[in-house]
Amino acid sequence: MPTENQTKEKTVLEARGITKRFPGCCANEQINFAIKQGEVHAILGENGAGKTTLMNILFGLYQPDEGELFFNGEKVDFKSPLDAIEKGIGMVHQKRKLVQAHSVIENIMLGHPDSGKILNFKRVKKEVSELCEQYGFKLDLDAKVWQLSEGQKQSVEIIKALYRGAKVLILDEPTSALSPPETRNLLDSIMSMVESGLAVVPFITHKLPIVLEISHHVTVLRNGRVTAKFATAGATEKSLAKSMVGREVIIKLDKVEVERGKPVLEVNNLSAYNEKDHLALSGVSFTIHEGEIFGIAGVSGNGQEELADVLAGLRKAASGTILLDGNDITHDSTLERWRKGVGYVPAERNEVGTICDYSLIENVAMNYYFEEEYVPRGIINYKSLRQLTESLIAEYNVATPGPDVKAKALSGGNLQKLILARVLSKKPRLIIVNLPTQGLDVGAIEFVQNKLLQAKKDKAAILLISGEIEEALSLSDWVAPIYEGKFMDIIPWTDAERDNVGAMMAGMKPKVESL
Amino acid sequence: MWELFVRSLDASIVLAIAALGELIGQRSGVLNVGIEGVMLFGATFGFIVAQTTGDYTTGFIAAIAIGAIIGLMHGVFSITLGVDQVVSGMGIWILGFGLTTYIGNPYTGPLGMARIDRIGGLSPFFYLALALIFLTWFVLNKTSLGLKIRSVGENPEVAEVSGVSVNRIRYLCVIVSGMLMGLAGGVYGLSYNPVWNYNFLMGWGFIALALVFFSMWNPFIMFGGAVLFGALWQLALSPEFILPGVMSRYLWRMVPFVITIVVLVLMSTRWFRTHWGAAKPEALGVPYKKEG
Amino acid sequence: MKIGEHELKLVKRVDLPWWNAMIISIISVIVALILFSLVFVHSGVNPLTGFKEIFQFAFLNRNGLPLTINRSIFIFLCTCAFIIPYRAGLWNIGMAGQLYAGALGAFGVMYLFGAKGDPNLYIAPGIGIPLMMIGAMFAGGAIGGIAGFLRGRFNVNEIVTTMMLNSIGFWFISYMVKEGGPFMNPVGRSESFDLPLSVRAPLVFGAPFTMIVALLLAILLYWVFAKTRIGYKIKSYGLNPLAAKYSGINPQVIPVLVFVLGGMIAGLAAYHYFGAMPGVFKIARNYAEFGDLSFYGIICGLIAQGNPLAAIPVSLLFGGLTNGGRFAQGKLQMGFGVDYALLGVMMITMVVLQFFYRYKIVWIKPEKEISDVGIIR
Repeated sequence: MPTENQTKEKTVLEARGITKRFPGCCANEQINFAIKQGEVHAILGENGAGKTTLMNILFGLYQPDEGELFFNGEKVDFKSPLDAIEKGIGMVHQKRKLVQAHSVIENIMLGHPDSGKILNFKRVKKEVSELCEQYGFKLDLDAKVWQLSEGQKQSVEIIKALYRGAKVLILDEPTSALSPPETRNLLDSIMSMVESGLAVVPFITHKLPIVLEISHHVTVLRNGRVTAKFATAGATEKSLAKSMVGREVIIKLDKVEVERGKPVLEVNNLSAYNEKDHLALSGVSFTIHEGEIFGIAGVSGNGQEELADVLAGLRKAASGTILLDGNDITHDSTLERWRKGVGYVPAERNEVGTICDYSLIENVAMNYYFEEEYVPRGIINYKSLRQLTESLIAEYNVATPGPDVKAKALSGGNLQKLILARVLSKKPRLIIVNLPTQGLDVGAIEFVQNKLLQAKKDKAAILLISGEIEEALSLSDWVAPIYEGKFMDIIPWTDAERDNVGAMMAGMKPKVESL
Repeated sequence: MWELFVRSLDASIVLAIAALGELIGQRSGVLNVGIEGVMLFGATFGFIVAQTTGDYTTGFIAAIAIGAIIGLMHGVFSITLGVDQVVSGMGIWILGFGLTTYIGNPYTGPLGMARIDRIGGLSPFFYLALALIFLTWFVLNKTSLGLKIRSVGENPEVAEVSGVSVNRIRYLCVIVSGMLMGLAGGVYGLSYNPVWNYNFLMGWGFIALALVFFSMWNPFIMFGGAVLFGALWQLALSPEFILPGVMSRYLWRMVPFVITIVVLVLMSTRWFRTHWGAAKPEALGVPYKKEG
Repeated sequence: MKIGEHELKLVKRVDLPWWNAMIISIISVIVALILFSLVFVHSGVNPLTGFKEIFQFAFLNRNGLPLTINRSIFIFLCTCAFIIPYRAGLWNIGMAGQLYAGALGAFGVMYLFGAKGDPNLYIAPGIGIPLMMIGAMFAGGAIGGIAGFLRGRFNVNEIVTTMMLNSIGFWFISYMVKEGGPFMNPVGRSESFDLPLSVRAPLVFGAPFTMIVALLLAILLYWVFAKTRIGYKIKSYGLNPLAAKYSGINPQVIPVLVFVLGGMIAGLAAYHYFGAMPGVFKIARNYAEFGDLSFYGIICGLIAQGNPLAAIPVSLLFGGLTNGGRFAQGKLQMGFGVDYALLGVMMITMVVLQFFYRYKIVWIKPEKEISDVGIIR
């Protein structure tokens, strides 16, 4: 816990009565808060509580309908991000805002007024290196951004904002893509920024321990309103969660015990290349039995996407074999794998999992167009597909006016339910789920997780890829932390500890005891 | 032989300037598959104006001006209205093809003016093309404006939150791109082949488009490709220089087009693809809509 | 924008019902015709007179109507050749090249029968005509297939490839029919040999039998896209290639499939023009004009929004406009290329109107606005 005396500084950013309405969701209603120099002021709220809207208002992407913003006591009116940047607001988005193909230094110089008409690399590099040193960031300024890890990319964004002269640094879910050691480094850097007089405003959904550890003040949002404000000293995880959700929350899931059956998936020494022709997955071997959930825990970009794609037949294996129920499917096409009982729920719900201009019926058909029952002799039976879609909508509580609606009209949670319904309804032997709960609200997360446990009871083998250690630990029978294309270990859930798994996700060798 | 070399260089210049225009547009993320149309406009208007006024300079100004207007039009369609860039480009090509056929028809035939003087034995446009290519490379890689252009082409959202106006940069690039294509058309119609006939570009615009894909968005590689292609084109026109009497002259005319396809296929092999993937502007062809 | 008490607003469409699409298409044709009036004005002709001449000749004239129908069949087939890849999100602008190949395929069959030297050769029409059609479709499909294969296997831009193939086809025909080429007319006029009398296509109601083929094709294609697995696969690939691949659709096969089918239909169009149209029956010297005409397939395909049934009236209109345009050009002593100018104006209007497939203009009445706010609160 930081000491109190730092927080007696003057207010830098103040919101008075900020209100923003949208038809439908995510509005802000009479938001008030004041952020002081040299403090960490966390803004806490669930998905849909209005955090994103508020952030966009602070950064000038949206303009509030009512209310005023003050910067250093002066009323400000941000018409665009540029206005906000010029005043001294720095924003680090959850979705990285960096040009992947450019170098770190180019990204930092982009749009900077002092980078010179003819780019002055030498001077900027020197100044940026000094900033890095001051706050404890280690960066290769000439590296291309796509070569960096998620944590390094975030550092680039922070440095970029600081170099632009940010006085208030807004961090959106700063630790969500980081491994535990990277999180540690970030927290240290934040502390040194605060010491040098910056204000840091992290927006956080559910990493409550971090809020407790670093922040001086917390403002809690619920349904677009401020529901609580407190100094962090004296707050507990429970009290934070309560004011966030509005009721006591139980975060634990019950383990479902299922008798272990025959092996369904046997993967032997599997490797694969990514788009950039680097070996992204190198020699993983594992087996999943009936009624088992095999959890892969890792920071995204460590080969788990490639693994899922190779298993689903969307990417060629560079070497190794895949056996499904004892049959070699390594060289089967995607379609053959669907037929043989591989079910895949991709992470990209909008880009890969659904076709947004198709109706829900046609989207369900994505997994049924090759079934003679629904498409006899190549002619689609829309009547039976409609019945199927209606029953899936009912069974999975997909909120939609009807099956003829286009998929693009559905929210993320409902889309995920639809995909899950479609895939699980085929009773696959092997279910691959990639980040199944990412970006969903609490209700939908619970629903999705329960459906996976149900499938487990039905004797399916499940490969769960997750970025959340808690999710991987609470659902899986086996946990495999993945780092740079390799499993660091494969641990039965009874032996898996949070810290240990987290360390391995960041590339540390497993402890001897767990071997 | 020198004559053949100079002639083939003349052809290369037209391709290089047009492709340079396309390259600038693409680096900012705007694909224009209608180069052929813009060039036809440039060639036809340049031709008509030069013939009417008897002055080359006015002709080239007209060619550049009409190119800018058509470039602006492509900008309005694809940037402001958010029309699919391929649809808009196709529209511009067919508009150019149709309208210039009608407008230029009364001018069918040779230009009837003294040829433009050569400098050091080469076309003055050779030096201009070299200067433009170097300038483009310099601006793109060494200046703040170039960094903005490249960023807008890679990831417009990032550029926007860094305080760059995406639409302004894209409009700038699309207009400059149109001007260069118009100029290329002018060079074709006033210098390389000053005999107006309907659709007398015969696919050069599309070859320029292929050159940009080939160049991996690097102006120097693009120029190299243009020089090779110009030589190829000229040889196909006068095959007697290397292989007299081997094939019908009509079959020789097919060769440059066949080679274009073959080169594009080679470019798509695994080795090229990994390099190409890194060079291709990420947001190419994707309309950008500001949030909020 | 505010007009009086009402407010005019652009709203993004969530859905595009077919009647809205139809209205937009009709409006775009009308707007284009109005713009096209400028061409008449430019030539000092009263636009009303101009359009009257065009439509009268195209649809009411004893000589004009059959020409219109023949052109329309040709344009319709080119439209289908465009539509099939278009539904898969791919651009076939190589109808011209596929057409040239189809023409050579059809005449190649006759060449094998030995028709080059003997215009009076008897070949049973029941054998000769289907074989010519097959030859045309085979050659057209093969050329189309090249573009599709390169796109599917190597991801080579199909616009460039098909355009290059157009030029290749153009010169290859020149080689075949000019300067002693294999298909040259023995009388030597830089055109192909004449089709033997026995295999000249029969007329149905005064039009070539290909009209029936075209109508059947329209219905078949409509059904394929609406009801069949193969149509579903093509549409999926067109709307979202990644999702299509995920659902087990082979991303290398679909481009080949649609381009082969498109090329085959373009080949059929070539058969229609060079092998079935009264008064032609050879690869004429001005074959490139039919290559140019094939670009109308792009416009018709866009206006019809990829719907083969909607393409029928659209093709008929454009067949009439180009045919009547040629006629008016001569009669009203306008410059060459009136029909080309129409092509250009039509296309660019179509592009602008594309915008309205995604956005709609709505009138907001002030009273309604107040009640809306009431509901939100």
